[in-house]
Amino acid sequence: MAGWLEKVLEIDLSTHTYKIYPLDMEMARLFIGGRGIGARLLWDMVGPNVDPLSPENVLIFTNGPLTGTGYQTSNRFSVTTKSPLTGTVLDANSGGFWGMQFKKTGYDAMIVRGKSEKPVWIEIKNGAVTFHDASELWGMRVFALTKKLGQDNNKRNVLCIGPAGENLSRVAAIMNDRERAMARGGPGAVMGSKNLKAIVVEGRERPVIEDPERFKFLLYETRKLLAASPLTSQALPEFGTVVLMNIMNNIGALATRNHQQTQFEGAEAISGEELTEKYLVKNAACWACPIGCTRISKTEKVEGEGPEFESTWAFGAQCGIDDLPAIIEANALCNDLGLDTISVGSTIACAMELSEKGYMDSDLRFGLADMLAPTIEAIASRKDIGAELADGSLRLATKYGHPELSMTAKGLEMPAYDPRGLQGQGLLYATSNRGGCHMRGNMIGLEVLGLPKLIDRFQVQGKSAFVILNQNSNAAIDSLVVCKFTNMGVADEYFARVLSAVTGIQYATTELIKAGERVWNLERLYNNREGFTTKDDTLPPRLLNEAPVDGPSQGWVSKLDPMLKEYYRTRGWDENGVPTKQKLTELGLADLV
Amino acid sequence: MPVIKLFANLRKFAGAKELSVMGSTVGGVLGALVGQNLQLRAAILVDGIPGPHVIITLNGHNIVDLNTAIDEQDVIAIFPPIAGGQGE
Ligand code: SF4
Repeated sequence: MAGWLEKVLEIDLSTHTYKIYPLDMEMARLFIGGRGIGARLLWDMVGPNVDPLSPENVLIFTNGPLTGTGYQTSNRFSVTTKSPLTGTVLDANSGGFWGMQFKKTGYDAMIVRGKSEKPVWIEIKNGAVTFHDASELWGMRVFALTKKLGQDNNKRNVLCIGPAGENLSRVAAIMNDRERAMARGGPGAVMGSKNLKAIVVEGRERPVIEDPERFKFLLYETRKLLAASPLTSQALPEFGTVVLMNIMNNIGALATRNHQQTQFEGAEAISGEELTEKYLVKNAACWACPIGCTRISKTEKVEGEGPEFESTWAFGAQCGIDDLPAIIEANALCNDLGLDTISVGSTIACAMELSEKGYMDSDLRFGLADMLAPTIEAIASRKDIGAELADGSLRLATKYGHPELSMTAKGLEMPAYDPRGLQGQGLLYATSNRGGCHMRGNMIGLEVLGLPKLIDRFQVQGKSAFVILNQNSNAAIDSLVVCKFTNMGVADEYFARVLSAVTGIQYATTELIKAGERVWNLERLYNNREGFTTKDDTLPPRLLNEAPVDGPSQGWVSKLDPMLKEYYRTRGWDENGVPTKQKLTELGLADLV
Repeated sequence: MPVIKLFANLRKFAGAKELSVMGSTVGGVLGALVGQNLQLRAAILVDGIPGPHVIITLNGHNIVDLNTAIDEQDVIAIFPPIAGGQGE
């Protein structure tokens, strides 16, 4: 069928063998691809008795029916696994070139199971799989390894882990195309636990497009829409995401010093304006992307992609650090070692607070920029203080008897937006299936940027409907898979039309969003099966009880409880946060429970 | 006088990060700010009102009504269209 290649590759690392079988096309119709198919396969393959770092866990790499078609931003792919950081379902997706090349090898999905006895790297060339000894590559950092294995953007693409993944850090990322990260939730540790260092792809297959004329027209229309939107044509390429620093600080929603404050006096020094003026070298883009939001920055020591807003915040405001070169270097170091910048920054911030309060014996203090690089190195190698920080802030804070100082939801470090000044964002973090995350729905568009329309950020009643719509739409976009930034210029309706033109199956916009809802509910079922309950849909006590004493969010805490009750009702779940039989039947999921 | 803080490319157009401008409403201050500066006007206003995705805050709170009254100590911040997010 057009769009999909209808083939699944399953690799068993324990035996160094592989098999190829047909993709279940009814599943593909319902779950589309990417995150959706990943969640559906994980449901069958990894149950509650499986330790995420055991050979029984799997890594499921998926692309989608739009991947590699040349539609704007059709470069992305997903990885799905059980998270070693949170124990929840985990999917992470990434741009660059690898996803497009993976599709060209001829597969919609690749399942990696088992554990290799010795370090191994895999090469997939025109569909055939070769297992190579990686003993000599073990210990290599990401940039050098990517080069060594022959990264060539449009021809041959490298996905790998760095030392952090090898050392099973639960905040380790999988990296592709040198500096693109599948960062959140520790997928790099799962790859490390399998002794798998890298996957290199090279291929020539192309997906068939069912209605090429209609597709061409939609390509043209999308190009026009992206060019007409000030956000996708000017703002993203010109200022990058870090321009959010001053905005969030201005409205009093920039989490600062491990969420002890909501404004950072050093925000201007680490802002997008400062980054652009002093450190920006040039812009770059992922495959088939006319937006080109990637920014290359340079200090005396490093030159590389980023840092994005969240990374700048994590090492900046969250750690009380206003030294932008040190932040740029910390970001580059995390990319080279294969680490999630948000979790690493926020875990260091947690250690800083634990140390300042005398609960933990370390030299870490807020504002000490010189501590960033050595601490990050220590985390990746699990040496010295890194041995304690390598598993994220919740395990660290729990060890010292103060779990309340971990700024996490379901164990995943939250990003920059402080929920006390953004009520909807708080509900989003608390209900996100992979834990505290802004990429499984984001209320900043509605609550701050007026995208598509401004709503009151302090309002509580009625917020759940917006959050749910956002979550369902994001799950659909993650299943296509395209870049969420496209959605700033192009409505969901366009994605449905493109999906129909490519596959020949007529998807109305409502059906596409329903597919997103199906994915969300399946992920929820997965977490429930793992033992997560409504008590896990929460935020750190600081955000629920301690109001900021100054700034625009003064006096506000997250009013999660009433929003959560409304959320369950609006989702069609019972008061225990479990999807009702009726909802599951409506979504075609009833046979799963 | 109320202070206006400017961000992103608005700084380039105004030649400053921050200005003090006379006015008793948000709209009045905006009018005085853009004055004869055509670049600034084009970046902020469309048909005399703030363009889509332009963010204006008064002491950190979003403003939609240009008739909102302001005091001497108030701070108005103006952001041109921007975007949010990060990698995965
Ligand atoms: S908008 Fe940025 S992240 Fe998204 S595909 Fe384009 S360059 Fe990549």
